[in-house]
Amino acid sequence: MKILVPVKRVASLDDEFELRDDGRDVDPDFCEFDLNEFDEYALETAVLIKEAAPEGTVEVVVLTIGPDDADDTLRKALAKGADRAIRVDDADLGDADRVAIARIIAKVAEQEEPGLVLCGAQSSDFGHAQTGMSVAALLGWPRVAVVSRLDYAPGAASATVERELEGGLVERIEVETPAVLTIQLGINTPRYASLRAIKQANAKAIESRTPTDLGLSTGEIGGAGALSRVRRVYVPERGKSEMIEGTPSQQAARLLEIIEEVQG
Amino acid sequence: MIPSGIAPTEVTRILFQDFSLWMLLAFYAYAITAMAVFAFGVYVQVRKYRSGQRGAAFSWRQLATRLADTAKVIASHRALRRRDARTGRLHAFIFYGFTLLFIGTATITLQEDILGPLLGVNFWHGQFYLLFKLVLNLAGAGFIAGLTYMMYRRGWLRPPKLDYARPDRTPEDADFSRERYRIEDWAFLWTLLLIGITGFLLSGARMVWLQAEPAVWETRWWAPFGALVAAGLKAIGMSSEGAGALRMGLWWFHGVLALTFVALIPYTKAKHIVTAATSWLLKDPNALNHLPLGNLDADHIGYRTLGDVSSRYLVQADACTKCGRCHEACPARAAGYPLSPRDVILTLREQANALLGEVLPKPRAAACATPLVGLATGEFRPDTLWSCRQCGACTEICPVGVEHLPLINLLRRDMVDQGNMDSALQRTLGAIGKTGNCFNESRRKRPQWTRDLPLKIKDARKEPVEVLWFVGDYASFDPRSQKVSRAFARILHAAGIDFGILYEGETTAGNDVRRVGEEGLFQQLAEGNVETLSGCTFSRIVTTDPHSFNTLKNEYPDLGGSYQVSHASAYLKELLDAGRIAPARQLDFTVTYHDPCHLGRLNKGYDAPREVVAATGAKLVELPRSRDNSFCCGAGGGRVWVPDPPGTSKVSEIRAREAAEIEGLDVLVVNCPKCMTMLEDAVKTTGNERNFRVMELTELLAEALEADAVAPAAAPAEVG
Repeated sequence: MKILVPVKRVASLDDEFELRDDGRDVDPDFCEFDLNEFDEYALETAVLIKEAAPEGTVEVVVLTIGPDDADDTLRKALAKGADRAIRVDDADLGDADRVAIARIIAKVAEQEEPGLVLCGAQSSDFGHAQTGMSVAALLGWPRVAVVSRLDYAPGAASATVERELEGGLVERIEVETPAVLTIQLGINTPRYASLRAIKQANAKAIESRTPTDLGLSTGEIGGAGALSRVRRVYVPERGKSEMIEGTPSQQAARLLEIIEEVQG
Repeated sequence: MIPSGIAPTEVTRILFQDFSLWMLLAFYAYAITAMAVFAFGVYVQVRKYRSGQRGAAFSWRQLATRLADTAKVIASHRALRRRDARTGRLHAFIFYGFTLLFIGTATITLQEDILGPLLGVNFWHGQFYLLFKLVLNLAGAGFIAGLTYMMYRRGWLRPPKLDYARPDRTPEDADFSRERYRIEDWAFLWTLLLIGITGFLLSGARMVWLQAEPAVWETRWWAPFGALVAAGLKAIGMSSEGAGALRMGLWWFHGVLALTFVALIPYTKAKHIVTAATSWLLKDPNALNHLPLGNLDADHIGYRTLGDVSSRYLVQADACTKCGRCHEACPARAAGYPLSPRDVILTLREQANALLGEVLPKPRAAACATPLVGLATGEFRPDTLWSCRQCGACTEICPVGVEHLPLINLLRRDMVDQGNMDSALQRTLGAIGKTGNCFNESRRKRPQWTRDLPLKIKDARKEPVEVLWFVGDYASFDPRSQKVSRAFARILHAAGIDFGILYEGETTAGNDVRRVGEEGLFQQLAEGNVETLSGCTFSRIVTTDPHSFNTLKNEYPDLGGSYQVSHASAYLKELLDAGRIAPARQLDFTVTYHDPCHLGRLNKGYDAPREVVAATGAKLVELPRSRDNSFCCGAGGGRVWVPDPPGTSKVSEIRAREAAEIEGLDVLVVNCPKCMTMLEDAVKTTGNERNFRVMELTELLAEALEADAVAPAAAPAEVG
């Protein structure tokens, strides 16, 4: 039985950064890249299922979509216990949105035939929380989002999951497998991948595929396969603020001034 | 001298005088059995040590130096006298007494059993015999005096370091108590004391028994203590016959006890006679400042199972005499953390004895596969190993050369590899892996502290510099330490030094990453820095951070980077000596100086910082614990990244209170960015914020230079 864990290489921003010339994203020179934190929990969930099962019966496959810079992310995932890593890349993927990405993941899932697809609940950079759900929709599989607990015996026809609701409520759901689950932070404690383990993961091959290999046409990938397009990324103008100083009566006087200014 | 009328050959002791043949046979049979038991014990112990991993063998030349050093340390008892001078001296009494008595007995064996029967050479009589008696009498007296003091110490003085309270266990644990060692401790003392006392009684009884023989009686005062016993026996009316019977009884008691003691040496704490010397001989002179290079390609890293432990540590575990110096020196133990370096070593000893020290040879594979770390009886607890600050206080003071520091580090390496660590630590390591610094800041921000400087620091990656300043994480990112970095930059600038930094190209040197046990990340960081440095032209490296200083100086050579590295304090001392900088005024502060472990204990940088303090004119009052006995601020070994659990007192607070005891203290001078972070906090939390300030040495000096050195730099100026 396989568990497919799609992972994303996410960007974190410096305090100071510049936008790309086309104004549609941040200049990557100002970003640090790492494995998406939500995906770490999804991966740990998969590895825990593997470790609880008899050896050799569960295979954890990680998948990412992007250029070879993303290999670091896959190596980290391999170091944390994934068995195989797949990277899908194509020059035309640049303008892909969540749905376009989900098309690729769904195709890989069709090929690999996993019992579960475990995604992070969202990415820490864009935070759409749509990729996993789109994958389920494309596959026509049952899906549960923002899972905070999972009981699943490999090969079983269903899994029991829990979701945390407002007011401390817990919703318990039985879901038929194969299914797509998106995993919430805190479901477990992701293990540390030591540099030694990551180095040793360098010896493992990363399987490279293209959308064509997967049977996707050019109309289904990248910007053409997307349902949305980023028009602009920008920093909105900040509101004004002022520290009012002085004695309480001076402060009150200044406050009145401001109120009058605002009221016009 | 020998009284006239007595033939020198008569002045001797007839061994086995009046013994029947069966007695002689019985004695030799017992002696040979004792030797056999001894030899078997040695075999079992050596076999145990040999089941450990081999380290690098050392050359003959090194061996000669090491032997000389070991002999010197044993002869002088230097290591034993430290921080406990009286006990050390009294141990020397026991040691020299025992050694002389042993040599004496060996001499008699040489004469009686080897030279006499084989070659007919007889020398044990006459004037030589009398001198021999005198020397051994004095040796015996010293031996008894030393043992008596040790009993007094154990029984009445009861220093806390000798109790067996284990901070790493609770009373519910099966292996909580090590009190049973007390039985052995006392049995050891009593056995030796009885051997000594019966020796004198025997000597006196023989004199009374043979009082009619002038060769014995007339020369009795050459054995003054024996003669006193003889006088006593006569005074209570002991007859010659009675003394003869007493002598026979005492002879057997003394002989059997002494032979039994010898037989038991390899099985009891008496083995430290051999293991302590061996441990010192094998010890790594750089154990404090240079950790062993880990092989990242091996099946696992560090110590996971008993079979991974190197032989040297197994010998060291047996060398430990439980003197408690490490227990007393450990800052984690003092602050109530579940760690005592002594108990770490004893745990290793007990596991090795239980699993590898079986009397009958058995296959070793299963024993070697026993895990070392865990919560079971006899295992090292993760909490214990994570309490260590890698400050080296234990290893530095150990009188028998036990290396707790690298042992704990090697145990941590496997824990890190398994992810068995605090989540805060895990996050920090993750951040360092990602950004190259422990503040999880972007690489781009590393040189931002230079922005507020009225001068432009050279980029050593782009142009040659004389001095390459390796700034380090805390000095780059911590707002308090940034002030110190700027002060240091202004001093260098004012002195006209050609210096530069690596800007974004620098990553943390990795000293503490290595001390945490993340060997792979350390090697990656070090290789990265070595590569960056190899593209730069400079003649020396200077750093204000003792942690970076230590690893750059001592550990980077293993990874291809050999540099001349100085700590800022030593460099400032050089500049003062050369007249490149001169204090403009004398500070009228009362200050104390906290030795950072990585500069002081690990690298013996004790004097330069004090000379810099002296140059400022400040009055230096030493802390009660200073120099080699400095008390860690609590930051080392990666603990700066791990929050202290509730309920424990902070190591740094103990230190802050110690400083607060100093009358009229104005400034606690630190010399390390991490000490600054820890102690500045601790001064606040102990309520001493209004009583004294915490300043780095560089800042103190900057203040003294101020009038003429710093002021001109206030105007923007280009360097170089």
